[in-house]
Amino acid sequence: MADMPMQQPPGRIVLPPHRVRASRPFSVRAREWVRRNLFPSRNGTILTVIAVGFLGALLAGVIWFVFIDANWRVITENRWLLFAGGYPREEAWRLWMGMGFTFMLIGLTYGTWSSFGRRDHIFVGLISAFVVFLMAHGGASIWSSLWFLLAVGVMYLSYAVTVRMPRELGPIRTLQQRVVGGLLILALPIALMILLSGDASARQLDGFVLNLVLAPVGIVGGLAMAIPLAIGRASRMKTISWTCTAYIEIVRGAPLLGWLFVALFILDDVIGGSLIVRAMVVMAVFTGAYMAESIRGALQALPRGQYEAAHAVGLSRLQALRLIILPQALRISIPPIVGQAIAIWKDTTLVTVILPLRELKGNADSAIAQFEFTPDRIEAYVFVAVVFWAVAFMMSRISQRVERTLGVGER
Amino acid sequence: MTTHDGVSDASADSDRLTDSQDIIVAENVDKWFGDFQALDNVSMNIKEHEIVVILGPSGSGKSTFIRCLNRLEEHDAGRIVIDGIEMNDDVRNLNAIRSEVGMVFQQFNLFPHLSVISNITLGPQKVRHMPKAEAQQLAMQHLERVGIPEQADKYPAQLSGGQQQRVAIARALAMQPKIMLFDEPTSALDPEMIKEVLDVMRELAESGMTMIVVTHEMGFAREVADRLIFFDEGALVEQGTPQHFFENPEEERTKLFLSQIL
Repeated sequence: MADMPMQQPPGRIVLPPHRVRASRPFSVRAREWVRRNLFPSRNGTILTVIAVGFLGALLAGVIWFVFIDANWRVITENRWLLFAGGYPREEAWRLWMGMGFTFMLIGLTYGTWSSFGRRDHIFVGLISAFVVFLMAHGGASIWSSLWFLLAVGVMYLSYAVTVRMPRELGPIRTLQQRVVGGLLILALPIALMILLSGDASARQLDGFVLNLVLAPVGIVGGLAMAIPLAIGRASRMKTISWTCTAYIEIVRGAPLLGWLFVALFILDDVIGGSLIVRAMVVMAVFTGAYMAESIRGALQALPRGQYEAAHAVGLSRLQALRLIILPQALRISIPPIVGQAIAIWKDTTLVTVILPLRELKGNADSAIAQFEFTPDRIEAYVFVAVVFWAVAFMMSRISQRVERTLGVGER
Repeated sequence: MTTHDGVSDASADSDRLTDSQDIIVAENVDKWFGDFQALDNVSMNIKEHEIVVILGPSGSGKSTFIRCLNRLEEHDAGRIVIDGIEMNDDVRNLNAIRSEVGMVFQQFNLFPHLSVISNITLGPQKVRHMPKAEAQQLAMQHLERVGIPEQADKYPAQLSGGQQQRVAIARALAMQPKIMLFDEPTSALDPEMIKEVLDVMRELAESGMTMIVVTHEMGFAREVADRLIFFDEGALVEQGTPQHFFENPEEERTKLFLSQIL
């Protein structure tokens, strides 16, 4: 650039720095907050009192139910039924190994791209305490809780190793990102291999384990179908766009229950396979149609200028899509995609309705069908509901964190 | 085979010779948007190293015209030849033309998910297959040229409008184009940032770049342009030197337009 006349950085108007202003003491700010948010006016005060009374009564009711009224034996006595149902005990190591692998991945992912905060530690602590209490209650199987704690230990170990690696860009960082990223991409196949590589009896996933396998397969498989479907629907080639539109509209037009009937009666002749595999296919096909529409919305929301700039730089259509359009579109569509993921997570309960498969809710039905536990149906269903809520809540928190991590450079 | 190729090569060469230094040739270009005729029989020759400023009221087709020059819009009739390459449906021709023509947009159109330096290295790496280190070195040279090397690792959203537009210019320059198109590059900027972008464009003009600029910056047009072209209702109405334009324009519509904006 020596032959170019060097450009002075054009002068910008620089203002003198602001003087440091005194901050107000915490007590003053707290009083201010309380007044403004709780007692802003006479009517506001009345509303606050009513709301506090209502919430207090609700909390008291919940505490009374959980600690005094409820009989949780229906859960503690049936914990293996709820967790893994008819899954053979001698194959249980597969479940623990799958759990350990998953927890290791969580640790590696947080260590590489994020970090555990105080809230995460509290959350892990609460879950661990709950599981240990549930498993060790009555002293039956101390091993199960030990396996769980071991998995948590593996998670913290893999976190501790990765979080100490340098975050600055460099060959080590690149290698770390590639290894962890590769593991994440292969996570589902590896987990399925661990779980399904045994003989026929070991492939009968059952109980909560079935929910935990069906949902990720539906979500990941659905996403894999949704991306080409969304791009295809937006295509200028009419044959492709019509095909994708037909797929999306037909699949969305019937309820999941209906598609599970297809899995039961029709898919047997088409693809065969076990019922579990057929249910997985239906989950992915169904979720894919919904996710495709979320991604299409994001594709349309991107400013036209992004496509134009990509072409002006000389990128081919495929390059523009891969490097410019999809990264932005997928980031925009995280919230609706996670919404869809949470929906399919809860919809895994539907397999019990149609297919001779038993997941958590189905096994809760079995638990209270025992004469001894029929009075405790509320406890059983409250437990199932709370477990589903906890996982859904976790999904929504993780999505928020992913959004924030990817949010760099947002307009 | 060889004879045929030899003949067509020779004719291509003779085309170049007859056009001599005309790096852009547009002949009788028409463009329709549905029933609306955006360009009406536009013809124009532009020489290498020439700075052309296109003026005209909004909707006059000036943006459409320069967007036809790198095929962001397809012209419906007529002929466009860029540096001896005919603009047609041949994808190889299109890619060859796009790599010779850089474009700067009114809305900058930086890639918001990529850092400033990645915005610039993307084209050289993916289209020119340049090694990463070399592309980054090139990008830093161009960032220095537009005066903001210290912003390399930031993201577009962290920059001011003027800085973003300078990055966009650097991004286009990194492809080492022979021609730069500017589509109202300062229209989306706050007044205090217009100057920093115009300064960069001025320096670029002095370096001998062929430039076509759609703008309302009359000071820039008067000072930098070799030729001004006035568009109205999709047609080329009048062209001439800045002196001709600002001192004795001939056409009534040109006079009216200039009286409104000066």
